[in-house]
Amino acid sequence: MAGTAETTRLHTPLSPFQRWIVSGKWTKTVVFLILAFFSFAMFYPFIWLLFSSFKTGADILSLPVTLLPKRWTLDAYLMVMDPTRANLPIAYVNSIIVTSGTVISVLITASMGGFIFARLEFPGRDYLFYFVLSTTMVPFLTLLIPLYIVMRELNLLNSLWGVWVPSMFSSFGIFLCRQFVYGIPRELYDAAKIDGSGDFGIYRNIILPLTKPILSALAIFVFLGAFNAYLWPLVILNEEKKLTLPLIIARMANRFGGTDYQAVMAGSVLVSIPPLIVFLIFQKNFVRGIALTGLKG
Amino acid sequence: MTTLQDHPVSGGQSLPQLPVARPDNVWRRFRRASPFALIYSAAILIFYTIIFIIPFGTGIWLAFQNWDFITTPKFVGLRNFGRAFTDQYFWWALQKTLLFSVVEIALGLTLALLFALALSQILGKWQNIYLSLYYLPVITPLVVSLYLWRWLYRPTGGAFNTLLSSVGLPEQPFLASPQQALWAITAVIIWAHLGTGIVLFLAGINDVPESLFEAARLDGAGFWQSFFKITMPLIRPVLVYQMVVSVIGTVQMFEAFFLIPGPGFSTRTLALYTYELGFRALNLGYGAAVSLIIFVMLLGATVFQLRRWQIQWEH
Repeated sequence: MAGTAETTRLHTPLSPFQRWIVSGKWTKTVVFLILAFFSFAMFYPFIWLLFSSFKTGADILSLPVTLLPKRWTLDAYLMVMDPTRANLPIAYVNSIIVTSGTVISVLITASMGGFIFARLEFPGRDYLFYFVLSTTMVPFLTLLIPLYIVMRELNLLNSLWGVWVPSMFSSFGIFLCRQFVYGIPRELYDAAKIDGSGDFGIYRNIILPLTKPILSALAIFVFLGAFNAYLWPLVILNEEKKLTLPLIIARMANRFGGTDYQAVMAGSVLVSIPPLIVFLIFQKNFVRGIALTGLKG
Repeated sequence: MTTLQDHPVSGGQSLPQLPVARPDNVWRRFRRASPFALIYSAAILIFYTIIFIIPFGTGIWLAFQNWDFITTPKFVGLRNFGRAFTDQYFWWALQKTLLFSVVEIALGLTLALLFALALSQILGKWQNIYLSLYYLPVITPLVVSLYLWRWLYRPTGGAFNTLLSSVGLPEQPFLASPQQALWAITAVIIWAHLGTGIVLFLAGINDVPESLFEAARLDGAGFWQSFFKITMPLIRPVLVYQMVVSVIGTVQMFEAFFLIPGPGFSTRTLALYTYELGFRALNLGYGAAVSLIIFVMLLGATVFQLRRWQIQWEH
């Protein structure tokens, strides 16, 4: 296509606009503009979220509705940070405990499992692996009621332990790490073995550093899953001091939803910040993570 | 099995008995295995026993009982399953689930594919910027998105109705109407999940070797022709994967129907019905039976899709 533009120019001088049309670059520009429009449409709700959180209670209900606040105020933020009105600060602590616990335990168990199922020999290894993998075939919804009963028997209701325990291991994570360890040359393992390293030492000093790329990708998805989880925490937790952030948002919507929706918006902004930070820091890993997870078949 | 005797090279001669390693018995292999592996295996076995085997077993047992958390469970045979087939609420829930699932997946995947295709036409920095924008709803907690959209959907003074009336269209009730609520929620979920599909499909499209498109162009193929003849077949595994995952995800979607429900039963899906049976109506046996029916349906759907599109999982 660039060639056509070059040859035409030799015969008749074209204006930059004509050249742009002839060269076919205009399709790219149109695509670009369409995408720009749709990304604005995708982003539009967030603009409402952000601006509404700076409104006053009277402002947010006034008609006709306006995007921008008539008077900018931080009242809504002060409202949700006030421990007597909403337990957002405590929920922050709870969410951080549960999320970091889940991420750390999944990273450890998945990388260990990946190494063990890929490289170490013991009877029944493959049966165990396929069993672990097959548990993903049963939807969580099917386990919801009986798992609640089991947690009740274990006295883990209404505690953050009860939220954390079922997600200590991730069969998907183990599967991913196993695939990844297969890509690490076996010779590394054999050489370390001959040098007299124990299996745990090999895991700690060789496998763990080498699986870092897949672990950072896994960490993001586990973080998002644990941080945004709703159904299981809803079933397990009910005391207000124990709630995680998504649950607190729902409580706030019930409490402030009628007249103080700006408080729900302010709470929503505050709740969205941790995943946003994680996303911005690890942005590159998201796309690479999807490539690494081998989901492309 | 080939023995030494009928091996072609040995020509049937009897050879002297060679020293062969004695077959390992299981005990010996356990002794030789590293303690690290054995401790981990024991831990993972205990974990899945508590978190999977016991609950799954309990679920199956519960489906044949009548229990409300308080009285002693009573065996009722297949009555819970029989009840599901005559229970109109179950059929309504099944209908809502299927409608939501089919529309969400059909629209969601088509849109994601179109976006990925458009994004693949622009390269470099802008591709990443757009990708990040489309991915934002995915990383936002769904609870936040739901309450945000409920606010935008308000019948009077909502952002969407303000937009509609400003271009001269009639205002809509959205979530307040039994006819529209399900589709209003579907739109939120499509919006919230679109980024996942786009990122996956774009990674697939970017992986197609440029030389294939080049060759097709030289042979006179247009853009859409090379899309259907080259891109689509090559990214089929990604498409099938995303479809299988979406079916499992949409059928289990809970928050949306729990937090911003439409009036009456207009948005009560099977996921919500299971939750309400178990934790509101305290009809645990029937709830367990419904959730087992969901399991069987999802298993069937998954197997069917993998068979239909001939995808083998590589381990």
